[in-house]
Amino acid sequence: MIFDYFILAFRSLVGRSVRTWLTMIGIFIGITAVVALISLGSGLQTSINKEFESMGKNRIMITPGGGQFGPHGGAISVGKMTEDDLNVVKKTKGVDIAVAFLSRSSKVKFKDELKFLDVWGFATGADAREMTKKSDFLELNNGRQLRSGDRHKVVIGDSIAYDTFERDLRVRDKLIIEGEEFKIIGIQKPSTLAGNAVYIPLETAREVYDVSEEISGMFVLVKEYEAPSEVAGRIKKELRRHRGLDKGEEDFSVTTAEQTIQQLNTILSIVTIFLSGIAAISLIVGGIGIMNTMYTTVLERTREIGIMKSIGATNNNILLLFLIESGVLGFAGGIVGIVLGFVISKIGEYIAVTMGVEFFQSSFSVFLIVGSLLFSFVVGAVSGLLPARQASQLTPVEAFRK
Amino acid sequence: MNNQYYDYIIFALKSFKSRKLRTFLTMLGIFVGIAAVVSLVSLGQGLQKAITEQFESLGANKLMITPKGGFYGMGSSVVLDKDDLKVVKHARGIRNAGGFVSKVASVEFGDERKYTWVSGLPQDDSKEIISDISSFKIAEGRDLKKGDDYRVLAGSLIAKGDFFDKKVRVGDKIKVENKKFEIVGILEPIGNPQDDSSFIATLDSAVNLFGGKEKYATIMAAVVEGEEPSKVAESLKRTLRRHRGVDEGEEDFSIQTFEEVLDSFSSIFLIVQSVLIGIAGISLLVGGIGIMNTMYTSVFQRTNEIGTMKAIGARNSDILKIFLIESGFLGMVGGAVGILIGVIIGKAVEFGAAQSGLDIFKASFPWYLILGSLAFSFIVGSVAGVFPALQASKLKPIEALRYE
Repeated sequence: MIFDYFILAFRSLVGRSVRTWLTMIGIFIGITAVVALISLGSGLQTSINKEFESMGKNRIMITPGGGQFGPHGGAISVGKMTEDDLNVVKKTKGVDIAVAFLSRSSKVKFKDELKFLDVWGFATGADAREMTKKSDFLELNNGRQLRSGDRHKVVIGDSIAYDTFERDLRVRDKLIIEGEEFKIIGIQKPSTLAGNAVYIPLETAREVYDVSEEISGMFVLVKEYEAPSEVAGRIKKELRRHRGLDKGEEDFSVTTAEQTIQQLNTILSIVTIFLSGIAAISLIVGGIGIMNTMYTTVLERTREIGIMKSIGATNNNILLLFLIESGVLGFAGGIVGIVLGFVISKIGEYIAVTMGVEFFQSSFSVFLIVGSLLFSFVVGAVSGLLPARQASQLTPVEAFRK
Repeated sequence: MNNQYYDYIIFALKSFKSRKLRTFLTMLGIFVGIAAVVSLVSLGQGLQKAITEQFESLGANKLMITPKGGFYGMGSSVVLDKDDLKVVKHARGIRNAGGFVSKVASVEFGDERKYTWVSGLPQDDSKEIISDISSFKIAEGRDLKKGDDYRVLAGSLIAKGDFFDKKVRVGDKIKVENKKFEIVGILEPIGNPQDDSSFIATLDSAVNLFGGKEKYATIMAAVVEGEEPSKVAESLKRTLRRHRGVDEGEEDFSIQTFEEVLDSFSSIFLIVQSVLIGIAGISLLVGGIGIMNTMYTSVFQRTNEIGTMKAIGARNSDILKIFLIESGFLGMVGGAVGILIGVIIGKAVEFGAAQSGLDIFKASFPWYLILGSLAFSFIVGSVAGVFPALQASKLKPIEALRYE
């Protein structure tokens, strides 16, 4: 029975091919845009998530500066942290390793080229080595890690080695950081998160930047089987007590890796939703096109409707007939739209990758495909509702007289 | 000739009247698209205009010198200090210069402690350069003056009670980094929530708070009247290079004219806006396809009529014009309604933004936006009508008449 409706709808659509095509084009342009935007947006999101996950969720970063200022907190805020704070954090329950860093944006010179890069002074003791060992993203491709006793030695990220200066950097090359000579001893493997950094021993950094006690923040590795968010809460409490602050008045921030991912995801979702929303306006317009086509169809087939009714078709039969026709219009437009959207986002992915965003991948979830198919069917059916009702309520006599 | 076109238009209108519903739906498609484009453009233009005007009226002949690296120069290892300021002040083509400091500091009022931006502004004759650019105006109380140590100005949101739980008034005492300060003035709204919830102190007291050394976040310099800012910037670059002992190409500071700041801002803005308009424009394309569809149907239904017209002497070009004008009209009327709705949406967003403190968001409707969208919607309509109109014009009278 239902199958017959589909056959009828199909015949009616094929019989008016130009109009059917144009109506479907209206829908598939919209679906194409929405599918392409969502797949690019969610692709970006999953790629970034993967990167972060490779870093591990058991990490916490602590920086000076109250609340909303993020990783720049240390640079822009008056409040500072010192080695004392590090000791407090180290003693907090659930903390496996805590390592302090001192970071400054600095003059880095190679041969005759001068750049401004983020230079991180890291401790070189047993703790730090342990943390490096547990961090896949800090692995080296060449050379060795910093160790205690190293002075003017530097480990650099992959993109510093190959994409920053005109000439590639190699192990044993010399870098001039803030006027002092450093020897490159290690080059990290490619990483989007840590590829852009220059690491020197903390003690050397203290001398170069002339600071004694101050630190720019610390990295914490949480013990296995401890929830990072709980440990973060404990660290907050301990640091508050140590610094003599009330709850809600922290002059430092404690961010878990999970929070960072969530924040990033929220921003990306908002952008994707906003853009898809604007693109979806075209779907409304496409829906209006379907409505228009269906009204015309009903008008043209008034006589046919009259015949069907006089040989016993009920109002419901007619309603269903037209609803399915308009739904099929939307659905078919949706299929073409999904295919086109797929093609476009693959092109987008290709362009992104050739432009150097290697980790980028567009994503097509079952959810996206089924969702947009369903949505295009619904758009079609809803647009057809009013015309179909009009058709179903025609009385046979009137229908013949027209 | 004119008369003839008049007839075409009348003809088109009559045709719409007899197919009210279809005409309305077709136009609906266009005006949704036009409304989206118009509201997006108007908000974008408005924002850009407001910012450009602010820059131009205040910063036209000013230069901005910042340390390179870091977060807008903050956190950089490079320091610009009093000596550098002195060099800038005495450089060729510079009328006057002043430096300011700016950091996030803890601020206490009553039992509440929060963190916000605190800036220190010089109170000597270089003051106007900086306060001009930042467009500070005093709404209540008085401005800071020389020797006003431990006195501050508070941003408008702080006075409104949007920052601390309680409203802050002139004469109230607050603590900045645990030092007592008195509020002597309230600023007028600047337009963005960050600026409007910050404090301004004298340079001396801010430097004391921030650790005693005068390290400027930015040095602002005013160029002598009649001098070309970009040329002065070039020579100042040389002078500062010499003073700091760095080679060309290895500057550890950057000098920007406001023109450059504005240019880089405008180009980013243009990209964002083009993307948005492009995506919104997709719906116009779909609307155009709707017009094409309606016109095909219209040609189809009026085949007989076309046959009659041809039989009594209408040429192909007459038929073509009739249908082109009809579809162009569909587009333009849809466009007119769309512009109206776009204006309403733009104004609504402006109102909403103003309610949440973003005073700088003003929808702007330049004449070229209105005329442009009208023309564009007419073109969309006509282009969409080309194929159906061609088909209509090429009908043979006999075939057309035979058609039922």
